Amino acid sequence: MMKSIQIVKDTAFIDQLHTVMEKNGQYSSWDLFSMAYQAELTTMTPEFNGLRALEYLPHVDFLEHQVNCAEQVIETMNGRAILADEVGLGKTIEAGLILKEYMIRGLVKKALILVPASLVNQWAKELNEKFYIPAVPHRKNYAWEQGDIIISSIDTAKRSPHRENILDIEYDFILIDEAHKLKNHKTKNYEFVRALKKKYCLLLTATPVQNRLIEIFNLVSILKPGHLGNYDSFLEQYGKDRKKIKQDIYLKQLIQKVMVRNTRQNTDMNNTKRRIETVYIDFTKEEQEVYNEIDSMTEALSTFSKITYLREICSSREACYLSLKKIENNEAKEEIQSLLAKIEQLPHHIKADKVIELIKNIGDEKVIIFTEYRATQLYLQWYLQQHGISSVPFRGGFKRGKKDWMKQLFENHAQVLIATEAGGEGINLQFCSYMINYDLPWNPMRLEQRIGRIHRYGQEKDVHIYNLAIRNTIEEHIMKLLYEKINLFEQVIGHLDDILAELNIPDIESEIKNIFNESSSTGEAKIKLNNLSSIIKYTNDHSVSGEQQYGHN
Amino acid sequence: MAITNLNMFLQDYFKAHHCKTPLNKEGVLSVQLTEEMDRVLMNRPFYWHYIKKIGQQGEPKQLTLITNPDKREINGEWIHFGSPRLQQIINHLKQNEKHTRLFQQMNTSQNTPLYPWLVTNIKISYKGKQKKDELISIGLHLVNGAMKLEMMNLLEPIQLQTTISDYCYTISPIIKLKSGFRRIESVIDNYIENQSHSWAEDSINTLDNEIQMLKHFYVGDTDEEKEQMEKEINEITERFEPRITYEVINGGIFYLTRDF
Repeated sequence: MMKSIQIVKDTAFIDQLHTVMEKNGQYSSWDLFSMAYQAELTTMTPEFNGLRALEYLPHVDFLEHQVNCAEQVIETMNGRAILADEVGLGKTIEAGLILKEYMIRGLVKKALILVPASLVNQWAKELNEKFYIPAVPHRKNYAWEQGDIIISSIDTAKRSPHRENILDIEYDFILIDEAHKLKNHKTKNYEFVRALKKKYCLLLTATPVQNRLIEIFNLVSILKPGHLGNYDSFLEQYGKDRKKIKQDIYLKQLIQKVMVRNTRQNTDMNNTKRRIETVYIDFTKEEQEVYNEIDSMTEALSTFSKITYLREICSSREACYLSLKKIENNEAKEEIQSLLAKIEQLPHHIKADKVIELIKNIGDEKVIIFTEYRATQLYLQWYLQQHGISSVPFRGGFKRGKKDWMKQLFENHAQVLIATEAGGEGINLQFCSYMINYDLPWNPMRLEQRIGRIHRYGQEKDVHIYNLAIRNTIEEHIMKLLYEKINLFEQVIGHLDDILAELNIPDIESEIKNIFNESSSTGEAKIKLNNLSSIIKYTNDHSVSGEQQYGHN
Repeated sequence: MAITNLNMFLQDYFKAHHCKTPLNKEGVLSVQLTEEMDRVLMNRPFYWHYIKKIGQQGEPKQLTLITNPDKREINGEWIHFGSPRLQQIINHLKQNEKHTRLFQQMNTSQNTPLYPWLVTNIKISYKGKQKKDELISIGLHLVNGAMKLEMMNLLEPIQLQTTISDYCYTISPIIKLKSGFRRIESVIDNYIENQSHSWAEDSINTLDNEIQMLKHFYVGDTDEEKEQMEKEINEITERFEPRITYEVINGGIFYLTRDF
């Protein structure tokens, strides 16, 4: 055994001592000499196992699942893992704890932390203040070799000349937040991450499998190439027929070796509740007429785009108007122009009035509003202002600094934050406990991401969520037939990924679009939608016992 | 000898650095820094540069360190094992208190010989899948070659000082510093060889497994794939390969009586 152990001795000390003695140089007093020894005795790590970091962080109250996760990643996964807790359970905390432990043990000096641009400052703050980890955000003209622990966005890091500099460095530790963006192995991001030199590596994502099983294969291959076989063999085994439960159980076990997944149900995060309320609204007579007119236009609009306009008119006049304007000059010019004229005549959108009413009832509390459309976002901001309610906008496209600024404005000055879908990821707003979903996304996972912005580690109050839907429209169908029927808000959401995979539905959003496109009447669409939710519900009720499909308990 | 009373430890540290402590009560310690310690701990080189440039004395700061968590509301710094301040102090100790030469204090009117000992405190780190450390304190009698373990504990009750007491004289070492150190090293070598090292075995197995898996992953034989595989093998090896490191934390020559 001894032969295979590399032994590194200290050759410098005795020469230094010799020099000091020859020069009759600086000698330590007994007190200080002995104190240095005591200090070493106190800070060294006498055991292979256990988390020393906990003694170093007495000011942080860790939850049990967070400590277990860190232990598991270090002791049984040897520092390469996917952290896949549901949104809001504290993946950042777990990652910070793991990094801290490695630093205390002297195993990590150089670390690179890649997170969405909007989160860079937040990560820096959290690591510094909570963990005393001196992490710095990357700035222009800042050499990558200089800092020990650098936080950057992947988009910056992968660009020349950063890319070349980074790839030259041997990192002890790499962390990638929102790692589900790496699911496709053909992208530049993926290729960049594979090329990084690393020892330990954490991938953070709440949704490790969004659509296809090959996504998890790609994530695992960053950490442990070969763990799930090679690309061809994996595709052959799992690519087509995912229902082979036997193989799936084996696959789950393999995945559990590199992934930790905690859900709300198996943690003590249940103490703040979600209070969800659906608010149904009736269109005004004029609005309903416009809606019906769009719905009945079979010549001028393709069924495919018709759904888009219908969804838009349920959101705001502006959203619908702007997209119709783009097709104003096609064959059905007259029909569309008359429609546009009618939209112009519409008074305020009934939903916006409802929002004002809700906010007034909520009182002085902070509120976040989500909408799918930018036009609606602008309209709402203006409309709120008309009613004396201060608000700030938030979009995925904002630069890092602007996002931080908007968040700060919201926290300290404005009552309302109006975010579009793309802004959903990457802001944590625990200080806010009210959310209005102005329009609902068709992919329930995205709704979960939204709710996760406020219902997360650090939230101290129950969160209130209002989902708006307009009666007798496409919105009501989705609400009634998808969300309510399968009890999506409360129960199913954590399993939805697995259920959809089992049903071989790669993308629920396009599945729903197809239903509307291929149906000749609303009645038919409703029946089909109903069938879809029935089968989801059925699969959920009958799915393999044990609430977790992947990940460790 | 590990630190159990942090308040006492800090008090000793600042006392050894000639700082006054105007207040020390219920886990709240106020320290009046000296200029030297201000420069070490307060991280304000520009202030000192500027103040010296204009020919002034400068005013070292006062520091309030709170070891009692119940007193955290008081104006001051809560100091604990993870706090940056304690890390700073510990690093300062480790960097500066590496070498020593000390004499046993004697109150005597008779001529007393003091014998030279080489004392080294060596940290041994075992790193495989995980890592652990062990601290060994060894003393070697540089005249007769006797060796003692737990040397720091044996020295603890003795009065030691940097100058030799009256009527005392030192015996010259017969064993040279370097060969003395080699003797100490070989004792550690021996100690390590006689361990079972299941941790290393475990690490090597994991290493082999992971490399096998890796080879299975790469089916193509393009240069690119080979390069990528090579890179990954290096990473895994770096992560799992068992390694033992010796690091001398500090050490020096101690002149002690025949049976100290």
